[in-house]
Amino acid sequence: MSEKSHTVVSDPVTTGISQKGLSAGTLGLIGAVVLGVSTVAPAYTFTAAVGPTASAVGTQVPAIILVGFIPMLLVAFGYRELNRVMPDSGTSFTWATRAFGPWIGWMAGWGLVAATILVLSNLAGIAVDFLFLLISQITGNADVAELTRNPFINVAVCLAFVLAATWVSYRDLRTSEKLQYWLVGFQVVVLIVFAVTAIVRATSGDAFDPTPFDPNWFNPFAVSSFSAAVAGLSLSIFIFWGWDLTLTMNEETKDPEKTPGRAATIVVLTIVFLYLLLAVAMIMFAGVGEGPLGLGNPDIQENVFFALSNPIMGPLGFLVSLAVLTSSASSLQATFASPTRTLLAMGHYGALPKRFGSVHPRFFSPGYATIVAAIVTSVFYAVMRFVSENTLWDTILALGMLICFYYGLTAFACVWYFRHQWFDSVRDVFFKLLFPLVGGVILGVLFVTTLIDTMDPAYGSGSEIFGVGLVFVLGIAVIAIGVVLMIVQAVREPAFFRGTILGTEAPPSARARRP
Amino acid sequence: MTAPVVVGYTATDAGGDAVALGARLARALGTGLHLVIVLPNEGTRSAAVAPERAYEDHLRAQGKRWLQDAMTSVPSDLERHGHVRFADSYAEGLIAAGEEFGARLIVVGTARGGLFGRHTLGSVASELLHSSTIPVALAPAGTAQEVDLRLPIGRITIAVGSRPGAEALLEEGTALAADSRSDVRLVSLVPFDAPPGLDTGELRQVGAKHGEGVLAAARAALPQGIAVETAHAPGDSVEDAVAHLDWLPGEVVLVGSSRLAQPRRLFLGSTAAKMLHELPVPMIVVPRSRRTPTD
Repeated sequence: MSEKSHTVVSDPVTTGISQKGLSAGTLGLIGAVVLGVSTVAPAYTFTAAVGPTASAVGTQVPAIILVGFIPMLLVAFGYRELNRVMPDSGTSFTWATRAFGPWIGWMAGWGLVAATILVLSNLAGIAVDFLFLLISQITGNADVAELTRNPFINVAVCLAFVLAATWVSYRDLRTSEKLQYWLVGFQVVVLIVFAVTAIVRATSGDAFDPTPFDPNWFNPFAVSSFSAAVAGLSLSIFIFWGWDLTLTMNEETKDPEKTPGRAATIVVLTIVFLYLLLAVAMIMFAGVGEGPLGLGNPDIQENVFFALSNPIMGPLGFLVSLAVLTSSASSLQATFASPTRTLLAMGHYGALPKRFGSVHPRFFSPGYATIVAAIVTSVFYAVMRFVSENTLWDTILALGMLICFYYGLTAFACVWYFRHQWFDSVRDVFFKLLFPLVGGVILGVLFVTTLIDTMDPAYGSGSEIFGVGLVFVLGIAVIAIGVVLMIVQAVREPAFFRGTILGTEAPPSARARRP
Repeated sequence: MTAPVVVGYTATDAGGDAVALGARLARALGTGLHLVIVLPNEGTRSAAVAPERAYEDHLRAQGKRWLQDAMTSVPSDLERHGHVRFADSYAEGLIAAGEEFGARLIVVGTARGGLFGRHTLGSVASELLHSSTIPVALAPAGTAQEVDLRLPIGRITIAVGSRPGAEALLEEGTALAADSRSDVRLVSLVPFDAPPGLDTGELRQVGAKHGEGVLAAARAALPQGIAVETAHAPGDSVEDAVAHLDWLPGEVVLVGSSRLAQPRRLFLGSTAAKMLHELPVPMIVVPRSRRTPTD
C-alpha cells in the first residue's frame, strides 16, 4: 500500500512527527445521551427480545427487566475501571489478555466478535421484516408483508441490507448529529404513543386479550422457576447491551468529570422507563397467552411489533415499522464498529493475521476486518434462515449466552487485573472487587445454566440438530470454532500466544508505592 | 527558509504521486517538504459511533508509520517533515496545515479513473480548490512511477484569461519561475472567455492585444535570463487548447481558480475536469486572491 522507493535513503527522518491536532472532547450531555439511546436501539431490541422473555417468564417481564439491569450495571463499572487505565480498541480482548494471558484473552475477544456478528445478522433480519411490513402498510397490500417468510427473498434482501451497512462502514460515511437526534427522538415518541394507545385500549376493553394491570408483575420472586428466570435474565442483559458505552466515554466528552455519569443515568432511566411502559402495555393489550396476538405465541414471538403494530395503532401502524426500521438501520453502523475494532486490535497484536489490523489508507476504517465481519454475518444469517424454524428467536437466545460469556470474562478480568489494588480505598473495594465480582458471578451462573437448559430440544423455537437444541449447538459451535481458530493461529503465528506482545500484568497497590 | 511545499499524503498511489511531485517542486524551488496526513476526528466521524480515543491513537500510530515509509521515498538531500493532523474534513485539515507552515504550495494526488476514483478526486479536490488560500498543485496519476524526482521544472506555462484573479495568477507564475529559474510560456485564454457568438477574427485580435499586454507585464516581473514566450492557443475551447499544446518534461501549468469555479460545480468544474484529463503535466491552481505572505 505504502509507496516505497527503490532509492534507499540512509539518513533517518529529520524530525519527529508532530502530535499537534489532538481533538478535544466533542460530546456534550445531549450528544452523549442520544448516542447512548441509539446504541441500545430500544425499538429494535425490544421487538426482538420481549417475545422470548414473555415466553420464559410470563407476566413477570417488567420484573425481569428491572433485575436484568443489575448484572449489567455491575459489569459496566468494571468496564469503566479497565477503560480508564487501558483504553484500547480491543476492549474485552485486550483487558482479558492483560489479566489472564493470551488464551483467555483470545476467547474473550472471540466472544465479543461472535456476539456482535450474531446481533448484526439479527438486526438485518429484523430490518427485512419491517421493510416488507412498511411497504404493505403503505400500499395496503397485506400480501407484501408475507413475502418476508419466503426464505429466498428474505435472504436476498437481508444480504442487500448487510451490503449497504458494510459499504457505509467501509467508506466511513458519516451520519450527521442532527439526523441522529431526529431518529432517536422519533423512535422514543413512537414507542410512547404505541404504549399509551395499547394501555388505553386495554382499559376500555377494546383489546385482544385485556389483562388488568397487576403490581405483582414487578415482583421478580413470582417467576415460576429458576431456569425461567435465567432465560429471562440473559435476554434482559441483551436489551441493555450497549448502554455501558455511555459510562466508558470519558475523554471524549466536553466535561469528563460529569457528562458520562449523567448521560449514563439519563440513558438508563429513559430506557428502563420505555421498556417497562412497553412491557406493561403489551401484556395489558395482548396477554401472554398463545393466542394469535398473545406474547406467548411462538409465531409472533421473534418479532412482536411486527404482529402488534397494526392491531394496536390501526392505520398509524406504519409509524412503528418506520421507527423499528430506522432504529435497526441507524444502529447498524455503531454495531459494525464494535467487532471490526476488536478484530483490528487482535490483528494489531498478532492474535489474528496481520491483515485484520490494517487500516484503509483513504477511508481510515478497519477495511479488511469490516469485510470479513460482513461476510461472516451474511453466511451466518443465510444458513440460519434455512436451518432454523425461527431464526431471529434462536439467534437472540444464543446471543444472550455469548454476551454472558464475554461480559463475564471481562468482569473477572477487572477483578483479577486490579488484584493488588482492591483495598487501596473504599471506592476500590466496591468498583475493583465487589461490583465486577458479583456481576461476573451472576453472568457466569447465567451462562452455565442457559447452556444446560438449551440442551433440551424444546428450548427456544424448538429447532433441533441431532436431538440437541439448536441454541445449544449454536452456542457451543461458536465457542468451539473459536477454540479451533485460536489453535490454528497459535500454530501459525505463535508470538502473541507466548505472551511477549501483550503480557499479563497487575498494577501495584498505590499504598505499596508510598514511602 | 523560504516557504515550504506541503503535501497532502495518503498511503495510496495518488499519495505517492503527490509526494513525487511535491519533492520535485520543493527541490526546484530550493525549499523544504512537509508531508501531512489528515485523519478524521473521531468525534465527527459519525453521530452513531462513539468517539473512541483508543481508535484515534491506533490511527495516529498507523499514520506515523505511513509517513515514515513515505519519507524514505523522498531524496535525502531535501529537508522533510511528517505530520499527522486530525480535522473534520480532509481539505480543512490540509489548508490549516498549509497555513500553519506558511506553505507556498499544497500538493495533492488525483485518483486514477474509475467511477469511485473520479468521485473522490472530485469531492476532495473540489473542496480544496474552492477554499484554499494557497496555490494547489494536482499531481497527475502515475507521477510517482514516471517522473525523475530530480527533474527541474524547465518551463512554466501560465494560462491567462480575463477572468478575475488574472493578476494574482501572473504574479504567482512569475514568482515561481523566478525562484525555480524556469522559462515562462504565456497562453492567452481570452478568446474563450468572450461570450459566444462574437466574430472569431475579432476575438483573435483581442486575444493578440491581450497577449502583448500580459507579455510586457511578465517581462517586467521576471529577472534577467528567464525567457518569456507567448503561445497561440489553438482550438475552440480551453480543453482543446490544452490538448494541442506541446509540453516539455517537467513542465507545469498554472491556472486561475476562477476558471474552475463553473456555475454548476457539483464536483470539480467541468472545464477543469476536462483539462485534468487532457493534461500530461501537473496543474497548479492559483486562488483568486493570493494570501499575502507575512511569515
